[in-house]
Amino acid sequence: MSRETVIGLEVHVQLLTRSKMFCGCSSAFGDPPNTNVCPVCLGLPGALPVANEQAVRLAVRAAYALGCAVHARSVFARKNYFYPDLPKGYQISQFEEPLATRGRLEITSPDRGLLTVGVTRLHLEEDAGKSFHDRVPGMTAVDLNRSGVPLIEIVSEPDLRSPAEARAYLVALKQVLKYLEVSDCNMEEGSLRVDANLSIRRPGDPLGTRTEVKNMNSFSGVERALTFERDRQVAAVERGEAIVQRTMLFDGAKGEVRPMRSKEESHDYRYFPEPDLPPLVLSEAWLRTEREALPELPAAKRDRFVKSYGVPEYDAGVLSGTRELAEYFESVVAVGVEAKDAANWIMNDVLALHPDDVQRALPPAALAAVIGLVRKGTVNRQAARKVLEALDTRAADAAVSADDALRLATELGLIQVQDTSRIDTWVRETLAAHPGEVGRYRAGEMKLMGFFVGQVMKRSGGTADPKAVNAALRSALVGTAAS
Amino acid sequence: MTPPRFRAAALGAAIRIAECEAKGTHAFVEWSEEALVEQADALTEEAADGPLAGEVVAVKDVIADRFFHTTCGSRILHGWRSAFEATAVRRLREAGAIIAGKTNCDEFAMGSSTEHSAYGPSRNPVDPTRVPGGSSGGSAAAVASGAVRLALGTETGGSVRQPAAFCGVVGIKPTYGRVSRYGLVAFGSSLDQIGTFGKDVAGAARLLAAISGRDDRDATTLDRVPLGGPGPAPKSLKGTVIGVPREYFPEGLHAGVRAGCDRALAALKALGAEVREVSLPHTKYAVPTYYIVAPAEASSNLARYDGVRFGPREDGGLRDVRALYRATRGHGFGAEVRRRILLGTYVLSAGYYDAYYRTAQRVRERIRADFAAVFGSGVHALFTPTTPTPAFQFGDNLADPIAMYLSDIFVCTANLAWVPALSLPIGRDEGLPLGGQLIGAMEAESTIIRIAQALEAAIDGTAEVR
Amino acid sequence: MSVTRDDIRKIAALAELAVDEAAAEELERQLSRILDYVAQLAEVPPDAEPVEDGRVLRLRHDDIAPDPLLSEPKDFAPAFKQGLFLVPRLGELDRGEDAP
Ligand SMILES: [Mg+2]
Ligand SMILES: [Zn+2]
Repeated sequence: MSRETVIGLEVHVQLLTRSKMFCGCSSAFGDPPNTNVCPVCLGLPGALPVANEQAVRLAVRAAYALGCAVHARSVFARKNYFYPDLPKGYQISQFEEPLATRGRLEITSPDRGLLTVGVTRLHLEEDAGKSFHDRVPGMTAVDLNRSGVPLIEIVSEPDLRSPAEARAYLVALKQVLKYLEVSDCNMEEGSLRVDANLSIRRPGDPLGTRTEVKNMNSFSGVERALTFERDRQVAAVERGEAIVQRTMLFDGAKGEVRPMRSKEESHDYRYFPEPDLPPLVLSEAWLRTEREALPELPAAKRDRFVKSYGVPEYDAGVLSGTRELAEYFESVVAVGVEAKDAANWIMNDVLALHPDDVQRALPPAALAAVIGLVRKGTVNRQAARKVLEALDTRAADAAVSADDALRLATELGLIQVQDTSRIDTWVRETLAAHPGEVGRYRAGEMKLMGFFVGQVMKRSGGTADPKAVNAALRSALVGTAAS
Repeated sequence: MTPPRFRAAALGAAIRIAECEAKGTHAFVEWSEEALVEQADALTEEAADGPLAGEVVAVKDVIADRFFHTTCGSRILHGWRSAFEATAVRRLREAGAIIAGKTNCDEFAMGSSTEHSAYGPSRNPVDPTRVPGGSSGGSAAAVASGAVRLALGTETGGSVRQPAAFCGVVGIKPTYGRVSRYGLVAFGSSLDQIGTFGKDVAGAARLLAAISGRDDRDATTLDRVPLGGPGPAPKSLKGTVIGVPREYFPEGLHAGVRAGCDRALAALKALGAEVREVSLPHTKYAVPTYYIVAPAEASSNLARYDGVRFGPREDGGLRDVRALYRATRGHGFGAEVRRRILLGTYVLSAGYYDAYYRTAQRVRERIRADFAAVFGSGVHALFTPTTPTPAFQFGDNLADPIAMYLSDIFVCTANLAWVPALSLPIGRDEGLPLGGQLIGAMEAESTIIRIAQALEAAIDGTAEVR
Repeated sequence: MSVTRDDIRKIAALAELAVDEAAAEELERQLSRILDYVAQLAEVPPDAEPVEDGRVLRLRHDDIAPDPLLSEPKDFAPAFKQGLFLVPRLGELDRGEDAP
């Protein structure tokens, strides 16, 4: 019997600000514990919050990028609960009047192709501190450096239909947020955290009872946890059991999901408007400026690459993967390289050297010069790769220019040899060294041509023009046969 | 060298404070001659030229400072030395003031008599069998006894004006946002405001000017430069319209209080003011509104006293953090604070929020609209009694929380509406001080201060009124 | 009584306050009385138009400028070790449903 999986995600993302959401402490990751703290983020008696303008700006950018309605007026609210790493006993968040609502994100689902996922709301809030349960025996230890770091919470509609789709949503969301420089979305450092709601139903039925899955530490962990939870729910329903609404924790080591130890009393956060902060009111002009300053987003960029450069859809998707890679591609094209060449070289050669950080690769002009050497026949494709690698190595600690390409090719002896007398010599020597193969070739084993070409190239140290070698070999072999 | 000039002021203050405390007033929870002298000697040249140079100011113990403990009259902050200083206190120091010490108050400013202080009540210097009022009772008593001339108090629902009336001194509650709350330990954040006490209107106004003005550490402060100091008392109030809201003069109002108000109103008329009866129809809802909003905010504000980061901890057996919370909070807070935390938790909890909290916010808007309408109709200030009765005796209102709450019936409206208000002595009844209240429009502190100065000069604030 | 013993138990748990039986009985009585008293607010008719106070949030520049501490956590924390605040052990993630 077919069952449909219904998934909605709640994603918390740390904003790339220098200071915290409501105080002037550094929001840096990795400093010694409890050193980035002050009266405000320690929750000392009498301290008051003051909101960070840059956090508001980044949240608004994210909201616009997700196509949300950004509200000119939103209200901070207190979410009250006790936890040792929550200094004030409440978290400042937004509740009844969030910053933004009704957005959408286009994703590429492995099952359903291109599709649009609804974004219910996006709001600003502060982070809690970090609890360690393994540092001091029998104790929980608390570091408040993270307390008060700015976050946005992005809640999706229950529009996702498989764990793989949930992962695709996260990939697309991360791509957009990194493009915007809103967050570095680093799950290991906790700057992106995911909670999921999952239920199953027969297609067309109303939503089933959902469980919440937490404690997933990577995108693949999300997929594994949700697969486990979906299978668990399907098995339970098939046994005739009802699904209980509860929170489930993912155990990454065991690859399983199990119910969180239930608490004696249910949660009641007693939200109310934060009296320490008047409503956040953003002017039309300010909002317009932010909206207009949005960079081109990945989906738009991909479409443009296809349309204006004529690169294949797949290549356009890869090249628009990060803002840096897209910029690199366009810079290479801008210095006169044909788009398809640029795409091929970047995807085959540059990304092989720098899969994660194209900013550390050789400058676009230098890459263009290398490509130019091949076009002009100065070096062959194989030699060009060596030149590129050498230039790239050099670029790591010194500035390299377009001229360096030719100089390096010369220094390395990679300049293509088209001088027929030298090529004829290598051909003669090669044929003399392999009389057996020559005999077999002449007996009709034509595929040995490849072997002869390889041997000649080897003798030339890779510098011979393969075309010229081919021609010389052919005439030499034919010529001898005729005699 | 400046020290000798201010050292004398410090030593003089030490003698007066010691005399006051020797009479059993218990205005202070902490003070010391050494701290006074140390501050006097350390005054910078700039501070020595400040508007409060060498002035000794007592500070209510819910305001954080760098010299003394800040206990808020609570066991849960026993031994707490604030790791930062309130903006108001910093401004006092920069104006040249010397902090006398910390004054007694009801625990976390919740109360109207100082009987809810964990460190024992203060006594009314005028009649030691009576309460000084509260919650800023220690500050009022410190000024009334002559220990200091100036003191800071705080208000959430009349906690400066009510004790000022009970002790026969002047108390000003400015517009919400006039003075920074940074470093004021929060009770009801949308109501809390630091206020000032003085022997006379000019003194309290001068102190208010020194601490007022926008503060980038408090997002709720008004974007305004500091208030100017008071001018001379006007000789005439011609052209000034004083509204008398009939809801503040109910039938059965204490006869002495009524007589005092009648005398003051006659004096205002004699000064040339036009006195006009007005109505603030939602007045009777102020106390119930207050007793939803303030406890709700308090229940959240007081969550930080959990024994985790600062303050005393009771481990409850050290097995479980929830046990630690419950023991620390259960024993650290007194009965009134516990009552209000639970009340506030209840009105915010699922299923009750709309019926209580949201309704109270709605009524609060009506109360605010009442004031806006009256001040929009050409009235410059309202005159009312500050309290329904003179100071009551210890224990009188302890058994019944609502009776205690009703002693703030005339004062808590200004906190709900954010408007400025002050209380000044308007005479005595059977030896007990009576307070008259002037309420102004938003940001109209200078108007009510001016009227109060004229009235103060026109009547004998210590004379029997009947 | 508008407040039941069960209500007291629930809100005391939410507020993390130890309340013994004797106190609970008194609180039940007092809170009921206060809540009955504040119930009169229900008679105020719904507003014609809401009153705006016009105050808006001032924002702070994203500068690193904390108010410096006069004393450090190690000086005022009830239990502190290796730079960390200590509390009795707590189950991992035993926190709010959708806490950050
Ligand atoms: Mg959240
Ligand atoms: Zn901080």
